[in-house]
Amino acid sequence: MSGDGVRTARLDGVSAARASRPYYVPIANEERVFKAAFRQGLSVLLKGPTGCGKTRFLEAMAFDLDRALITVACHDDLTTADLVGRFLLRGGDTEWVDGPLTRAVREGAICYLDEVVEARQDTTVVLHPLADHRRQLPIDRLGVTLDAAPGFCLVVSYNPGYQSVLKDLKDSTRQRMVAIEFGFPPAEIEAQIVAHEAGIGHDAAAELVRLGQAIRRLETTGLREVASTRVLIAAGRLVAEGLSPREAARAAVAGPLTDDATVTSGLVEMINAYLADERS
Amino acid sequence: MSTAEVHDDGLGRLGLLASAISGRALRVAPGEPGEPAWTDGRVVFVDADSGPRERVAALAVQASLLAAGSLHADVVRRLQRRPALARRYLGVEGHRALAAIADLLPRSVRSLIDAAVAARADSPAASLAAALSREAIADPPHSFGAIRARPLLAIDRAEGSAATHQPAPREQRGVLAELAEDDDDGTAVDFSSPVGGGGALGRLLGHVLGVVRQLNGGGPPGADAPTHRTRAAPPAGGHPVLSHGMAERVEESAVGVQGTTYPEWDVHQRRYRRDWCTVQEVAPRPAHSAPPLAADRYGLRRALLRLGTGFDRCQRRVQGDDIDIDAVVEARVMAIAGSAPDEAVYVENLRRRRDLAVLLLLDTSGSAAEPGAAGHTVHEQQRAAAAALTVALHELGDRVALYAYHSRGRSAVHVAPVKRFDDDLDALVMRRLHGLVPGAYSRLGAAIRHGAAVLESWGGTSRRLLVVLSDGLAYDHGYELACGAADARRALAEARRRGTGCVCLTIGAGTDADTLRRVFGSAAHAAIPRTEQLRQVIGPLFRSALRSAEVPRRRGGQR
Repeated sequence: MSGDGVRTARLDGVSAARASRPYYVPIANEERVFKAAFRQGLSVLLKGPTGCGKTRFLEAMAFDLDRALITVACHDDLTTADLVGRFLLRGGDTEWVDGPLTRAVREGAICYLDEVVEARQDTTVVLHPLADHRRQLPIDRLGVTLDAAPGFCLVVSYNPGYQSVLKDLKDSTRQRMVAIEFGFPPAEIEAQIVAHEAGIGHDAAAELVRLGQAIRRLETTGLREVASTRVLIAAGRLVAEGLSPREAARAAVAGPLTDDATVTSGLVEMINAYLADERS
Repeated sequence: MSTAEVHDDGLGRLGLLASAISGRALRVAPGEPGEPAWTDGRVVFVDADSGPRERVAALAVQASLLAAGSLHADVVRRLQRRPALARRYLGVEGHRALAAIADLLPRSVRSLIDAAVAARADSPAASLAAALSREAIADPPHSFGAIRARPLLAIDRAEGSAATHQPAPREQRGVLAELAEDDDDGTAVDFSSPVGGGGALGRLLGHVLGVVRQLNGGGPPGADAPTHRTRAAPPAGGHPVLSHGMAERVEESAVGVQGTTYPEWDVHQRRYRRDWCTVQEVAPRPAHSAPPLAADRYGLRRALLRLGTGFDRCQRRVQGDDIDIDAVVEARVMAIAGSAPDEAVYVENLRRRRDLAVLLLLDTSGSAAEPGAAGHTVHEQQRAAAAALTVALHELGDRVALYAYHSRGRSAVHVAPVKRFDDDLDALVMRRLHGLVPGAYSRLGAAIRHGAAVLESWGGTSRRLLVVLSDGLAYDHGYELACGAADARRALAEARRRGTGCVCLTIGAGTDADTLRRVFGSAAHAAIPRTEQLRQVIGPLFRSALRSAEVPRRRGGQR
């Protein structure tokens, strides 16, 4: 249970899983803002639609700053114990097991709470003393208060496109954060990203991006989720495997975006208009 | 413009493409065979017999003209009754419009652009000037279609007159502001619902599927229903019942023999009329037969599964947040005694306790007898939705009640309990439901107040939800549409302030989005053309309604 949704990537050079910097193309000043906040010990709120590169950005920052990155995918059954830790029984004794947040606090890692608003409010309150000037984590069950090790940084993300979000993230939590806003990259950069990540030619990537941008214009007419850079990369990867652009986009773009038959057929028409039937 | 089905011949599927290029909700419908493509600003008409490539090119040009502002009324007015000028204008402006959004266009459409012609103008006005000049302008290719000034201007006028409503700010408003929703002109935008009339999905369903009828103006709603001819006619769908005083029917005690009185909001005087409406519960007359209870016919269970559940602290779990001391002691004793100890020694918080009471309020006024989408009346579709919701919620273990209402003036608001909270969900409930016949009027505010009162008294859970299934036409004697809208909106705000979430569903009715917004205010609401689409909207709607009621409930300290 304590490992639920937790992934650790060691980037500290000792057990570096990644020798090279994760691919991330800066769009604006987000890298400078993040590094400044990190040096000042401020917590960071990453806002942006799903699949626009928030997690990749953070991986690149963790690499640049030489910190371990501990990621927790938040969900609405996440309890304080899931973050902080709990007692387990070993034989006749109890044994304390740190949660991911406690581990990050002790080790001075970057703790990334993905989609933090999905977590219950009584869970997120535990973040307050960590996120402000105190940088402390009180652990009631142990009766101790941990001071965050140097290099600890709390990062949370959420997608403001979901209606529930603005209401759920408490103001008291929000105001302890420095916010960095993300959007989808401009077409030229996005084509570069898709080409690099999927390993396809620039022209094929540019056509996928054109389709993606057209679908994003539909946002005003009602498609709740638009084609993210992530789904375009997924389509590109299918193309790299030899599928035709149309086949790839149907599987990776139209399928994931909607279950509605009418909307699906509309998307398929768009795919047919924008993409070739055969691999160029 | 006809709002007839436009997606039955495959052309409707191109609506999404047209919308993406134009950046606005646009549909595609078949035009006359052989006729060039044209648009009225809402629909692009293309030749259904043309090939797929030509169709895409034709609609892309028309959508590009809209996106690039080429069909702005100021320009189009100059083209009226001057077809030759319109063609010359299209010859220049078509290329300019395509070039202006070339980055967004499919490759096949980009190849239509003549860069040299596009460079001749940098705005619609410049293209018009070029068209008016004596310069030689090549005829636009056939795929450019044509510009029809009159329909464009007609739609522009219609939109201009409808665009007087400014949306309210989307931020959370306080309780007082909520109750004072009718202080504005009744156009408060639904801020709590992702799928309401103003919400994304609502717009998608309204515009892209394009099957929502428009409310025909003139005459009161339901005026054509036979029950309106005389006020002395017996109430359709039910007969007044004298209370039998059965002690075990606790909910019946909420309503006396004479009925219960409720206040009504007078929008003109800006005050409540005390004890103005009398609500009588009338026993519904069961039909002789009814279709059997269909288990989860519309797939609602999954959407509703996670709603309204509370956390239970469960002991003796194999994993959990804390150690269950009693279980540990027992396990140690068993281990010492030499038997295999139980490993379930933790306390876990599990979200599994159902904590939701839902009261469905079904509009059975005359206007529900109107034909709706898919060949069924609005009543039939709302009835199917009510049955599906009742069954799904009941199966999930929620407390659910279903009441129908209609009215004949303020002293005779009739509410028929099809299923009370404590009734079993059996065939009789379905027979009662199918025995309902639409008739009379709709004093929506009083019905909502009564429904909310029953829910608060007999729901018995901390989370409460009032679901109004109505075409949104609140109208009765001395209760015209504006009054009804303001009163219904206030009744919903009152319920929400007391911690009852409110959801309003309009199924298959042609009531326009503005009217629905005026009636339902900031309650979570959605208008869907077919009952089958309920599954898509119900989860977000219910969740948003429950959430909007959370804060007042906590503040009020009620259960």
